[in-house]
Amino acid sequence: MSNFDRWMMVPALIIPAAASAPAFAVQYMTVEQAQKVMFPAADAFEAKIVSLTDEQKNAIETASGVRVRSNEIRAWRASQGGKAAGWFMLDEVYGKHEFITYAVAIGTDGAVKDVEILEYRETHGSEVTNAKWRAQFVGKKAGDTLKLDEDIRNISGATLSCKHLTDGVKRLLATYAAVLK
Amino acid sequence: MVRLDRQVLLGVAGVLLSAGGAQADEALFGYLKGAETLPKGASELVQHLTRRWDKGEGEYTAYDSKTEFEHGFTDRFSGAIYVLGQSVDSKGLQIDGYIPADINSGMKYSGMEVSAKYNFLSPAKDDFGLAVYVSGAYTQLDPHSGQKKDKYTVETWLLAQKNFLDDQLVWVGNVGLESTYAVRLPIEGMTMTQEQWPTTPEMEIAVLAGTGLSYRVAPNWFVGAEALYDTEFETEVGQERWSIQAGPNVHYGAKDWWFTATWLPQLAGGGFETYPGQTDTNLQLIEKTKQEFRLKVGFNF
Repeated sequence: MSNFDRWMMVPALIIPAAASAPAFAVQYMTVEQAQKVMFPAADAFEAKIVSLTDEQKNAIETASGVRVRSNEIRAWRASQGGKAAGWFMLDEVYGKHEFITYAVAIGTDGAVKDVEILEYRETHGSEVTNAKWRAQFVGKKAGDTLKLDEDIRNISGATLSCKHLTDGVKRLLATYAAVLK
Repeated sequence: MVRLDRQVLLGVAGVLLSAGGAQADEALFGYLKGAETLPKGASELVQHLTRRWDKGEGEYTAYDSKTEFEHGFTDRFSGAIYVLGQSVDSKGLQIDGYIPADINSGMKYSGMEVSAKYNFLSPAKDDFGLAVYVSGAYTQLDPHSGQKKDKYTVETWLLAQKNFLDDQLVWVGNVGLESTYAVRLPIEGMTMTQEQWPTTPEMEIAVLAGTGLSYRVAPNWFVGAEALYDTEFETEVGQERWSIQAGPNVHYGAKDWWFTATWLPQLAGGGFETYPGQTDTNLQLIEKTKQEFRLKVGFNF
């Protein structure tokens, strides 16, 4: 075997190792479980899939200052005894390398009731699942600052997850105001 | 030898497979650095392997090994220590003052390095990321000839980083100054003139500048390109040589490990001299090679 062949074995072994590496994911709850946790008194969840128009997308981006990655909004109207209880919105943002699946519950007053992490696929940064950190979003409305190190505390070592979730909640509040309210 | 290599490589592959799927610190580039530091209390072990080959004449292949341990002392300050190794295999190419004789050195310990990095602005939180990086190294082998040479190097870098598109696109810009003091040692068993192998001390200053872009094409995968300009100055001749290297890179970040691979061929270069018989006169081939490839594998804990 020549020097070159020996040397080529390094990437040749690493790339298959990387490709076959098992995906690391922690699923904390399903969509149904999250709906029950976030709207415990609700007895019905009516799915509403919205495809954003370019106008709506622009309006959301202008209002939130956050880029809209997907035109499809996955939302459920929660109700109790036929009376509206609020909106359950399902979304994904990047952590550092992988998507974080999370949900935001918005009350009938337009304020965040709860933020839950449904699936976190990375090890570092999972502190964003911490209840105290998520509680910072409760009461936030469309138009609020929602910026890391201002009204939302950062967690060192989880900066990108914190930033992207904060941006995500801000974008969903603007989405709610633009198309669900 | 071949059997040993196979065993080592299979062992490495085994470790990588069993480590599968974790988050990593970002080292999106092979040669350039970003402005982020490790979080407080986090550590990283990185193995760098660089292959340098092809000087146009003769047969020349060198490997540089760098084993790095980095630790985050605060969220903004990290330090690292490195063990350096190298091998040079050169045949049929002699350049006075640089490559005095054929050699097949095999991989040998060559020196130690320490570095510190301080982050002023975070690319994730601030509009613009900025850090300074300083390093000091002592090496006892010449990376070009493989012969004995005591060398002390101090580097200072300014590292800028800007993230775009929700951190999906990362730009870095690096500017560095490298100061070197070196003394070539006599070669055992060979009589050399001062022309062939000068043993008087020499001092050099190099200015380095680099820029790179990396784009996250899929979860865990970044693809990009980087370029590096390197120019050296010396008292007697002023600008002694310069080169521009540029090429593509790929980065994979898993759960607790990552790898980055960069191919960085030399695109242009020159200086006050070329070696006698050098045919590619638009390249700097006295100290550099036509081709370089670097692989870095890191483990976070």
